[in-house]
Amino acid sequence: MTDRDNDSWVNDLRKPGPQREAALGDMRSQLLRVLPRGISRWLSPNNAEFDDLVEDVAQETLLRVLNQLDTFEGKGKFTNWVYKIAVRLALNELRRRKWRNVSLDFLQQEADDEGASFQFPSDDPSPESMAERREIMHQVEHAINEKLTAKQRAVMQAVVIYGVPMEEVARRIGRDRNAVYKLLHDARKSLKSHLEKAGFPPEELLAMFDK
Amino acid sequence: MKRFLIWLKERLISKGKSDSMLANLVRMLAATKDKELSCDDVYAMLEQFTEAILRGAPVTGLMASIEQHLEVCPDCRDEYEALLKMMQPA
Repeated sequence: MTDRDNDSWVNDLRKPGPQREAALGDMRSQLLRVLPRGISRWLSPNNAEFDDLVEDVAQETLLRVLNQLDTFEGKGKFTNWVYKIAVRLALNELRRRKWRNVSLDFLQQEADDEGASFQFPSDDPSPESMAERREIMHQVEHAINEKLTAKQRAVMQAVVIYGVPMEEVARRIGRDRNAVYKLLHDARKSLKSHLEKAGFPPEELLAMFDK
Repeated sequence: MKRFLIWLKERLISKGKSDSMLANLVRMLAATKDKELSCDDVYAMLEQFTEAILRGAPVTGLMASIEQHLEVCPDCRDEYEALLKMMQPA
């Protein structure tokens, strides 16, 4: 495998021919070596789908790299830029697979629908669940139900309660991840402001959980 | 709708999780700033940020803004952690 600096990678990949083929082969080998380290937390290497996923992502990454070569600004290492593309592809695919059979219809409600009220799941009290935490839970639930729009509430419920990735929420509601992030950011700002005014600043509440 | 939500909760949530969900939300609220970088902003700089973390650069300025985004964005945080693993020496 040839050692290349950023310029060499870009130059070798820019034009079709033997240099490009060699560079693609080297990059593919690197991806097959390091990508498993990156994704093994989300998919066990013992899983039957693991090797195929790594292979597919490596292949798709190379195509994206060729298409996006002009967007590489050279501010970091070229190989790390490629790894970043592979990570996004791999995790998005794993997110899609994990949630593909789960209906999240409540995300699709109309804007004029009041939507379901937000409630933390009721469960057996843990030793840590003191009365003060229940009071906080009540305050947060109240703030979510009173201060957020139905759409903000549904998305927050999906992300915070059910742990649905924002990328998957975005896919289900036909928006991009930035839009979902913005919606949640507005919701967080609204909740934070309300809790501060109600005498429950989140920074102080946090100290209670760190006890 | 209500029955569906109950079903979803039973399917996805094991008992004793509400404390950690509340703690998670409170952490996100405590870390919330009026102005935050978008996911696209963070993605554009993610490999540079990760390189800086690996060489022990101080987390100030734009770096601090990226770090703040990673505290409140589970998707970007997962991508950062995966990239960090790939960039670390084997």
